[in-house]
Amino acid sequence: MRLLLIEDEIPLAVQISTSLREAGFAVDVANNGEDGLYLGNEYPIDVAVVDIGLPDISGIEVIKKWREEERDFPVLILTARGRWEEKVEGLESGADDYLVKPFHTEELIARLRALIRRSAGFSDPKIPMGRFVLDTAGQKMLFDNVEIDVTAFEYKVLEYLILHADKVVSKSELSEHLYEDDFDRDSNVLEVIIGRLRKKLDPDKSLNPIETLRGRGYRFRSIE
Amino acid sequence: MMSLNARLLLAASIVLAAFLSLTGFALDRAFKDSGIVAVKDRLQTEIYSLLAAADSDDISTLIMPNTHPDARFSTPASGIYAEIISDDNRLIWRSGSMLGIDIPFEKVSVKGDSHFAEVISADGTQLYTMTLGVIWEVAPFIVRGYSFHVAESKEHFEKERKRFRKSLAMWLGAAVIALLLVQAIILRWGLAPLRKVAAEVTEIEAGNKEEISEEYPREIALLATNLNVLIRSSSSHLKRYRNALGDLAHSLKTPLAVLHNLVDNENLSLEAKQTVSEQIERLDKTVEYQLQKAVASGRMALAAPICIEEVAHKLLKTFRKVYIEKGIDFKLSIEPDIKFIGDEGDLLELLGNLMDNACKWCVSNIILTVKGFEGGKLSIIVEDDGEGIAVADREAILKRGVRADSQVEGHGIGMAVVRNLVEEVYQGKLSIENSELGGAKIIVFFNK
Repeated sequence: MRLLLIEDEIPLAVQISTSLREAGFAVDVANNGEDGLYLGNEYPIDVAVVDIGLPDISGIEVIKKWREEERDFPVLILTARGRWEEKVEGLESGADDYLVKPFHTEELIARLRALIRRSAGFSDPKIPMGRFVLDTAGQKMLFDNVEIDVTAFEYKVLEYLILHADKVVSKSELSEHLYEDDFDRDSNVLEVIIGRLRKKLDPDKSLNPIETLRGRGYRFRSIE
Repeated sequence: MMSLNARLLLAASIVLAAFLSLTGFALDRAFKDSGIVAVKDRLQTEIYSLLAAADSDDISTLIMPNTHPDARFSTPASGIYAEIISDDNRLIWRSGSMLGIDIPFEKVSVKGDSHFAEVISADGTQLYTMTLGVIWEVAPFIVRGYSFHVAESKEHFEKERKRFRKSLAMWLGAAVIALLLVQAIILRWGLAPLRKVAAEVTEIEAGNKEEISEEYPREIALLATNLNVLIRSSSSHLKRYRNALGDLAHSLKTPLAVLHNLVDNENLSLEAKQTVSEQIERLDKTVEYQLQKAVASGRMALAAPICIEEVAHKLLKTFRKVYIEKGIDFKLSIEPDIKFIGDEGDLLELLGNLMDNACKWCVSNIILTVKGFEGGKLSIIVEDDGEGIAVADREAILKRGVRADSQVEGHGIGMAVVRNLVEEVYQGKLSIENSELGGAKIIVFFNK
């Protein structure tokens, strides 16, 4: 999932982005409101973490402008001010959740995953897809309640496809949401990953959960 | 306290009443004095007419003609009486009008002197009398002394005086009403700018205006200007103060967040991680609590009362978003148009912390009840269907930084902030009870 972090405190931004990358997010970082606003408007962001107290444009203004531009990805605000006045103002401006500094990275990651899941329309951390279940909290894929051994990157691909189940996801869309902007993308890698996932999810080729639509992309079927 | 208008009107009425009473008294006295002078003149004239009519007979005795030019002397009880007494106390002549009436005329010792008096006759009639002592030459070289007495009933004079008094009272009464009316109009016009200031202050307090207009007479223009300065400076001061505290919070919390994450990521021993985390958390809670405490403003002069329902709905939207997965059923029972006399930020803080705790602890139900009582008293009750708070923990929860269950983050700070706001900033009362829903019932009561 592609995440945008706007945080003006460089050491904190480095810490958070490192932890988020380790957790499997593709992280773009902006150290001021102006850059953050641009990235949010121009890039295919799945979720954003915005510090309210930015030096140029306030985090709240950035969120308001995104919402005006109909950028509807979920946003979590980071605030040093624990007052409800600010939390309410942040959430009224269009944010979806808040976290007061200082915070545990695990809590931030859990909240972000919940936001992504909710924005895709799933209320439970365990997303059933027929006999398959994607456990977003445990970052696991299950088949008939048995865990399927997938790598971190394979999980990222699966998560994106399942959160967009029954929709056609092009290779470029997939790569845009899984890789950071400065990453050297190789579309063959995705093809290899999809091939490996097919083997792991459907070894006897009876279910075919991931369809390939020639020239258009991939689709995860929400098989009943 | 009595209004300025009533005070001025009352003072003016008292002065007016005193002045007009004095005027009435003086006019009555003047009327009486001039009336008595007129009576004196009249009686004097009657004596002169008697003198003119008197004559002496052959035996050197004063005699009066049988008929008198003034017919009233001949009519019994006509109200005007006369008699002539000689120095040896012989009755020389008595008017026919005095028939059956005994008037105690006073005597004069010096001849040529006249004496005026008020007397009461034997039958109780009040009279004015005048006596003139004369020496009459009844025959050549024979002189005798006589006293000419004339009396007039006071009845006529008193009737006149009564009529005058009635008329005077009527005119003075009319003058009082007219003057009070004029006074009230003048007061209304004169005090209109003050009433306008009061109305504008009410408008500001109701949140319909931001400041007082500048068009006022010079006597209160300074007051209006200073009130505007006060309004602007108090709100901008609070804003600056809160911004400064916000910046301070940012400056303190961001390094804390860096330290916090560092502890999570660095290869420290479990014991060291735990110690550093605890100390960071302690520092964070202290900073948070002190900042929250410092930022509470309390009741501010000329601040508009806050609509509790609006604030509650604002918070409800927030909680519905944040706790969406819990599927909480919020029930609000807020009396319409009920207002909180204080700062909106403080109310948000109070309700926010109470409802946030309820959201964390509840299973799926929360009720917020706000009731108003006589004299601006107010109760805010937040209840949930969680496990509730044990009686033994209630006192501790209300203290700063103490948490009933360390698994739920921020519980202690939130309740301590609420306690500070309710009891110290707004002098209200905070208590914890059991809710009928099964969980905790937090009751906040404001006296004003």
